[in-house]
Amino acid sequence: MDGVFPKVVFTVSGIGIRDTVISSWIMVVLIVVIILIFNRFKPGAIEMLFKTINNMLSDVMGIDATPYMPFLGSIMLYIMFANVIGIIPGISSPTKDINTPIALALVVFFSVYYYGIRDKGLWNYLKSLADPIILLPFELIGQFSRSLSLTLRLFGNIISGEMIVAIMFMLVPLFVPIPMVGLGIFTGVLQAYIFTVLTSTYIAASVESNEPIKELDEEKK
Amino acid sequence: MFENASPELIITIVTIIVAGIGIVLGTAVPANAEGKAVQKALESIARQPDSAGDIRTTLLIAMALLESTAIYVLLVILILIFANPLISRFF
Repeated sequence: MDGVFPKVVFTVSGIGIRDTVISSWIMVVLIVVIILIFNRFKPGAIEMLFKTINNMLSDVMGIDATPYMPFLGSIMLYIMFANVIGIIPGISSPTKDINTPIALALVVFFSVYYYGIRDKGLWNYLKSLADPIILLPFELIGQFSRSLSLTLRLFGNIISGEMIVAIMFMLVPLFVPIPMVGLGIFTGVLQAYIFTVLTSTYIAASVESNEPIKELDEEKK
Repeated sequence: MFENASPELIITIVTIIVAGIGIVLGTAVPANAEGKAVQKALESIARQPDSAGDIRTTLLIAMALLESTAIYVLLVILILIFANPLISRFF
């Protein structure tokens, strides 16, 4: 079980820096380098990737997802890389530490309010929260509990994948954990998709604007 | 049997039993529900193949929401096993 839970590597003025923080720095550098390399040699690939994500999220949201793509696309890329990078030996995936999912869910929590207030104005947004006034407590409980469930879903999936690999590794160290690692990659990509889709549905429920979906799938045909 | 056992040992034994029972219930019920969801989704895809994309997206979101209940049980049991609050606080 050693290596499943994050460890403190060094301390800066009493605050412990865990290995997941270091691996998330490595990951950010890696994402930037990969994006720059692709942007230099094959600019169409990045565009196609983001167009695919945009089409997918527009289908889910029911409105055009382009204004929210900087946020949603970077969340999706970050979580996908963070879940998958754990298969490299010596680098622990940042989402294995519960603080990373908490931070992501807090960002989502505040960005839902930000987009809602930006779209409707403060007073209209507050009025839409308490549309029949009797539903206000349930709405507020829902706001908090969905952040909690976003956090726990991401963290639980990743930690359970790591733990299954660790248990298989303790029993049979050779070749047998490989299917479990493959399952971990699948779960990681799926969880990134789920997190982004849930975030986009929260944002779509918060803005509720009636813009028509732009024709983005011309290149698919 | 446990007359001379320390409270820590009893709490550990109870924790292990609870973890075993809890993980069985906590995975069987969501698995049952997910099976029902997949069954209905497959039936409706077979009936209307045109709306397969919408059904697949909704199914994935619903499966994630159902799956998270099993994940909550898993997290509670991980806390019980690896970071049991009773053992370190009261003894």
